[in-house]
Amino acid sequence: MNKTSEGNRGREVGQQLRTENMENGKDAGLENEEDETFYDFQLFITQMKDPRAEPIVKYTRSFLHNFVTQKSLWSASEQVKLINDFKEFIYSKLALYEPFKGLDKAKFHNAKEGIEKLIMSKLYSRCFSPCLADESEALDASHARDLEEDKELADKALEYRFLLPNHLEVSDKFLPKIDAFAKMAGKELGRVNQYRAPRDKMVCILNACKVIFGFLKHSKLSNKGADAFIPMLIYAVLKSDVSCLESNLNYVERFRSPDSMRGESAYYLSSLQAAADFILHLNRESLSISDTEEFETLYAENKLQADQERARRDTHEGPGSEAEHYRRVRSPSPTRDIMGSVFSKVTEIFSPSPTPALPETDESVTAPATFVSPRNLSTAIANSTAAANSTSDNEAAATELARKMEQEENTRVFDSLQSMFPEMDQDLISDVCIAKKYRIGVCVDVLLTLSN
Amino acid sequence: MLQFKLVLLGDSSVGKSSIVHRFVKDSFDEFRESTIGAAFLSQTIKLENEPDVTIKFEIWDTAGQERYKSLAPMYYRNANAALVVYDVTQADSLAKARSWVEELKSKVSDKDLVICLVGNKVDLCEDGSEPKAVEKEDAESYAAEHGLLFHEVSAKSGSGVSAVFQQIGSKLYAQKKDSLAASSQQRNTVNVELQRPSTNDATSCCS
Repeated sequence: MNKTSEGNRGREVGQQLRTENMENGKDAGLENEEDETFYDFQLFITQMKDPRAEPIVKYTRSFLHNFVTQKSLWSASEQVKLINDFKEFIYSKLALYEPFKGLDKAKFHNAKEGIEKLIMSKLYSRCFSPCLADESEALDASHARDLEEDKELADKALEYRFLLPNHLEVSDKFLPKIDAFAKMAGKELGRVNQYRAPRDKMVCILNACKVIFGFLKHSKLSNKGADAFIPMLIYAVLKSDVSCLESNLNYVERFRSPDSMRGESAYYLSSLQAAADFILHLNRESLSISDTEEFETLYAENKLQADQERARRDTHEGPGSEAEHYRRVRSPSPTRDIMGSVFSKVTEIFSPSPTPALPETDESVTAPATFVSPRNLSTAIANSTAAANSTSDNEAAATELARKMEQEENTRVFDSLQSMFPEMDQDLISDVCIAKKYRIGVCVDVLLTLSN
Repeated sequence: MLQFKLVLLGDSSVGKSSIVHRFVKDSFDEFRESTIGAAFLSQTIKLENEPDVTIKFEIWDTAGQERYKSLAPMYYRNANAALVVYDVTQADSLAKARSWVEELKSKVSDKDLVICLVGNKVDLCEDGSEPKAVEKEDAESYAAEHGLLFHEVSAKSGSGVSAVFQQIGSKLYAQKKDSLAASSQQRNTVNVELQRPSTNDATSCCS
């Protein structure tokens, strides 16, 4: 295959991935669609394959190598320091070497994002606390605390998952759809476990908040600020059972570049930390209980049920068990992650030898397909990328993959919207999805307007 | 442009969010940034007394219900300014505002934190629908005693709202200017970009 058509394919893939990225994009909920921050990881990977980028690739490879070989377990604060120092170093180098040197501001920023995503995806298994659960003996205080808090939070959420909106002073003026929305927001939030890069996790957090605001916007409340938002956010977290939430929040806070962690992102990350903190310390005093008898009945009923579930979970291995649960959050499937295609490219760049310099273990690929769609898809993709030997085959596989992933993502958005608005015409929902590029926050907003 | 984080504190009934919505609504559109929801808002203003200085406020709203009070530290950490709001028609809302001020004073180590005490809903007293429960003089003297800025406003009519942000902006700018002057002497890099004509250096704005 000649160079030109290869380049075209690369662009095509980039285009398709960009569409997905925008759906996930930080600014996906903005009214002004032109205003989106440029973000294209595929482009970054293409740039990294440019021979002139060799020094950047070398520096990065050497950093990654040293990070995992010099010491098996850095403390969380050492990790933050090492990674931030490297970022600062490599950002200054980006300004010296083509193809990065001449980039405009937006594309240069994209390259910085690319570096963060690349290194954090590679170092995920050393930095994300649940990945370190097996090494609990050697863990430093911060990572160990993440794991404890994950467990405490999960226990508290289980204990109080029966709470009614009024227990949290969530306004009773809300539409009867509150549970559907809380669930949907929780689902968006739960996707943090499907990604490795701090930015991608942050996007999931923002999307969850967008769903809540979509909901608040159409409720007949006079106050749509934090007085309404925070209780609703807590309610959504409580009802959603997101695994390893504390670890995820701390990971984002530690490893997302400080200059990206300001403004809106910082606010919503803090709000989620606040919500998690509230749940961690939840007791009867923190709630508004007008009907004690009703509360105690609900509490006792739930406790009985929760104890049974816990007993079942502890005796069984397999779906729902703790081991299974850790296996799942530790290894986000490559599709969902930085997209499988990109992974194959990354591996290409970072392991010229047949044996990868860094182990790219992905248990989800080899694990039995216990749940249907994502894992089957990822296995299929893993097979297809593994089978693809030549570059052109790789490119073709990547294009196909990007298409599949986009389709899958769109189906997911459509399905959740449909379950949220069962009374609405399917074609209408579909039209809205297409018009709004399947961006969940905006779609929710439009559909709420239409349904009112 | 200078960026500052401003946190909103006050009981849920005092209308703290409304003050910010009024501020954003009455400010120039060209400086508005769309945000995903009303709990975080960002608005840029030009200082009236320093027309070539633009200031961007990142405004962090907090939940005012008593049960969420313990979450406030996650919001006011690293804040440059705090708007502590009470309702002029509710005497106990001033007491709560005072407890916020005390908390800020004891928990925030940054001595440059600008705290502004704001009495909202003066429109209700002006149109006679509610008696005034907190006299301006009382709140004002409390503010003076504790080194706070003070304003009475009506989020409903908009009266006094922009003055709050102008004054906070000016004070923050003055502080920044001082620290900038101090650090530029040491040739340190400061995490601030002053948008000024290129002929001026960062220190020449000190008059």
